[in-house]
Order: sequence, then C-alpha cells, then structure tokens
Amino acid sequence: MNEENAYQQEFQVKGGDFTRAGEVSCEIKNLLKELGLSAPIVRRAAIAAYEAEMNIIMYAWQGRLDLSVTPDRVRIVVEDKGPGIQDVELALSEGYSTATPEMRELGFGAGMGLPNIKKNTDDFRIVSEVGRGTRLEMTFLANGHKP
Amino acid sequence: MTEANRHPIHIHDDACIGCVHCLTACPTRAIRIKNGKARIISELCIDCGECIRYCPHDAIDSLTTSFSDLNAFKYKVAIPATVLYGQFDNATLPNEILFALRRIGFDCVYELSTICELNNAAIAKYIDSHPKPRPLIASTCPVVARLIQHRFPSLCDLIVPIEPPREIAAKILRANLPRVLKIAPTDIGIIHITPCPAKMVSINFPVSMEKSYLDGAISIRDIFNPIFQALRQSQEDTIMCHLFPETIFSGIGMGTALSGGETRGLKNHRTVAVSGVRDTIRVLDQVELGLLKDVDLLECTVCPDGCVGGPLAVENRFLAKSRILRLVNQMGERTVVDSSDMSMLYHKDFLSFSHPIKPVPDLPLDDDRGRAILKAKRRNKLVKQLPSKDCGACGAPDCRTLADDIVRDQAALSDCPFMKEEK
Repeated sequence: MNEENAYQQEFQVKGGDFTRAGEVSCEIKNLLKELGLSAPIVRRAAIAAYEAEMNIIMYAWQGRLDLSVTPDRVRIVVEDKGPGIQDVELALSEGYSTATPEMRELGFGAGMGLPNIKKNTDDFRIVSEVGRGTRLEMTFLANGHKP
Repeated sequence: MTEANRHPIHIHDDACIGCVHCLTACPTRAIRIKNGKARIISELCIDCGECIRYCPHDAIDSLTTSFSDLNAFKYKVAIPATVLYGQFDNATLPNEILFALRRIGFDCVYELSTICELNNAAIAKYIDSHPKPRPLIASTCPVVARLIQHRFPSLCDLIVPIEPPREIAAKILRANLPRVLKIAPTDIGIIHITPCPAKMVSINFPVSMEKSYLDGAISIRDIFNPIFQALRQSQEDTIMCHLFPETIFSGIGMGTALSGGETRGLKNHRTVAVSGVRDTIRVLDQVELGLLKDVDLLECTVCPDGCVGGPLAVENRFLAKSRILRLVNQMGERTVVDSSDMSMLYHKDFLSFSHPIKPVPDLPLDDDRGRAILKAKRRNKLVKQLPSKDCGACGAPDCRTLADDIVRDQAALSDCPFMKEEK
C-alpha cells in the first residue's frame, strides 16, 4: 500500500492546555486498535504519542500530530511552534529535564519524555530549531522487534 | 446458557417502547434500537447494568437466580454481599439480617466481611512480593475484569490474580461442608446475594477458573422484601442477636462495600480508588498511555461509590453508604483474620486464580489491516456527512457509531432520518 492509500489524520494540540492532556494520544490508541494493529505496537505508539503530546502542552505554544497508518507501519510526525531544544543530545539522555517546579508538582519533568519516545519507536528522528520549534518523526513497524 | 445469550441483562419487549435512554446510557455503546425495540450487542456488553438504571419504563432487568431454583438443593447456603447490611435501617443489626435469611429458608448463612478482610490481606501480600509491574489492578468487580479483557487487553497482566471474596468463601464452604454435614456435594447449593447483574456472569462464565464455586446469585432487589417481612415477624431473633452476638464481623472487610474499601486496608501502599463506569474507563485509558506507574494498587468499581451503588440494590446508595460507614466505625480497625492463616492459604495458592485472565480484544473494523484502513477512511467521510445531532433516531447512540455500523455492514446511511430528507 502506498502513501496515498494510508490512513491519515491530523490532530491539533494547544500549548498549556493541561485539561485536555492525553486526549489526542487516547484517540490515536483507540484508532490503532480498530485498525487491527497488534497490542504491543498499539502500546508503544500510545506511550510515545502521549509523551509527544505532553511535550507540546508543557513547552510549546501550538503543535500537531500527523498520524499515518499503512498495514506495515504506523508513523506519527509531531511538529510544534515553540522554544525548541538547545541541546538535543542532552535532552535525549535520561533524567535531563527543563521542567518548571509547577510541572514537576503535576508529576511531569522526570526527564524521561524523549528517552521514552526513543525507546518505544523503531525509527526516531528529531530536528529542533531554537526559537522556532521541534519536529519529531516516529515510526513503529507492525512486525517490529522492540519489547 | 451459551455465549450468544451469556448476559443476564434482559429486555422485555412488551414494555420497551424503543426510546433512546438506554442507548446513550450505555458506556460501551452496546445497544441499538432495531424494529422499535432495544437490542444488546453481546460482544460489546460488559454487564455493568447502567441501562437498568436509566430505563424509564422498567423494560430492562437482570436474569438472576430465582427462589424456585433453590429447590434443586437439599442444603442451601447464602453468602450475602456486605452491601446487604446497608439496605435496612440503622436499628437493624447485621446479625438480625443473617438470622432473617435463615428464617426465609437458607440452612446456613456465611458472613462475608471476614473473607473480604482476608482477600485484602492477600492482595497486600501479593503487592509486596511483586515489585513490578505497576499499577496493579484489583479484580473484585467482575465488570472491570471484563472491561480490561475486551477494551484494554494489554492491561490483563496488571490484574491481581487473587479470587474475589465471594469465590474464596464458596471455595472454603465447598471444601468443608460435604465432610462436616455428610451430604453429597451436589446437594449443597451456595448462593451469593448480589447488588449487581455481573456476578451472575462471573458465576456462569468465570474468567480466572474452570468453574465457579457458587451455584447462583439472587439479587438484593428480589430478596429484600422476604427479608423485610422476616425481620418484622421475628422479635425473638432481635433479642437473641442483642444478647448473643455470635458472628464475628470485620470492620475492614465491611468497608469493601464502598469505593476505596479495598485500598483503605492498605496503609503502606500508594493506592487510587475509582468508581463509576465512565471514570473507570478514563483511568484505564491513562494506564494504557503509561501513566499511574507510581501507584501500587488501582481499585476500580464500575458502580458509583462502589458496590453499594449496584443497580440491583434497593436502598439509595447515599443512605446505604452512611449505614455501612457507621458499622465500619463501630467495628473499628481491629483485624479479625489471623495473618498466619492468611499466609498459609496464600502459599497453598488457595486464594489465587487457577489461570490468568486472558485478553479478548474487541473486533477491529476488518480482519485485514488494509481493508480496515479503507473502512476507517470511509467512516471519517460518513461522520462528516451525518448531522452530528446524536439524536438516536437511527437506532445507534450517536452519529459516529452509526458510521461505524455502516462500515461494518450493520446499518445503512438511510437509517438516518436527516439523510432521507436530503434525498
């Protein structure tokens, strides 16, 4: 199946909107189940989508998740307009976080977001421009071998 | 009973007028109106009983064990849910209710609050000996177990594999009564008295054992009046109960009739208690997104405020809750279960599931992933076409569900009255 036949849907996420946190990733999760993807890939995609959604809510002003599903893979491209990441290498290391005390009080900011996304994807790319925003490309293979 | 009609929820066609109250009340969108009557889609129904509460015409009820079914047994044992103690006024002691059950024909009544405490202690032991994964989920509510199997299959591994109190109690009786009474095991009928229809399914179609230790379940609705009449006619019993309080009750166990009851006994653990079917779904969604990992035990009960809010209870749940809390306070935090007894039963696997709860995922749009993708795309187009009024006139609870039914070949676009007008 080529890209044109893929299932595609776009989800908007607003920065700072904690009351709707998790709604988009939950919708993606339920959709993937309906499309007949196996439980492990649904779980990995759901966890990664949630982390990405929370990153937009916590740090960016506006963002979106573009979902594309073919029988062989799930791809989620996340783009936000936000402050960007100064040092991507550092942000990818476990435990590093720039979360504010308020965010930490809500249980976020353990510095596990991006590492968790990387861990759950079969292919992961990140490009960030300071002052402009961040773009993540996450791919999950239907027969992927991740745990 | 076969899989096709496994559900105890029953619709009386003569009373059903095909209105839309149950359609929108159903949390799993399992009801459709076909030819003017409500119909339940068996694969989607989780037996929560929300439809029973919302039907304004009393057209929906639950098929539970009837009194005449009890005649099949020579020796009848009742195991009432602790919710029963909250159904009568404050002056009626739990002991009097147990006496009344004997008066109406049970040969033996087995008090459940001590077993609830035992179950509680076993859950705590399981949590302590299994540092991972988290959060563990308590399985006492059979609807939650079914909900997880179908809608959250990846969470099956998180369910604490300890049998609920009613099954543990029945197992103890099965192991001992035939020997003590010298009666054939088949002559002994062990009946749960329940505030909800789901217990009937857990007895007929158990998910964690080959065969339930219980023979049936009578609803509190059905047994309330016989108990009430027996209580009125038995003044001597009352005096007996006051002078000779023979049964030992557990305050800790009594509290499990309420939401938070299972977690209240766990003093050294991080716990969360959720009640109500929609909030339960919301929290399980969060667990599936990888949240609540810092919680040891998640207690979910799909009835509001816990079992005390069961659809087959009689007294309103606020009064019943207040009475149960009063009993809990009177009985205090004193433990009545010997911890070495619990430990022995735990290590003998007497309290655990005989097999794990297996995932039974809901059906995807199509078995073929490519076709499922095409159907999902078509569904999105249909959703845009439909009026978004969610009126229920087509027989589905909302426009999105109608679109879903159309792509699954279960409905037609012309079922929507607004679509007809445009033609």
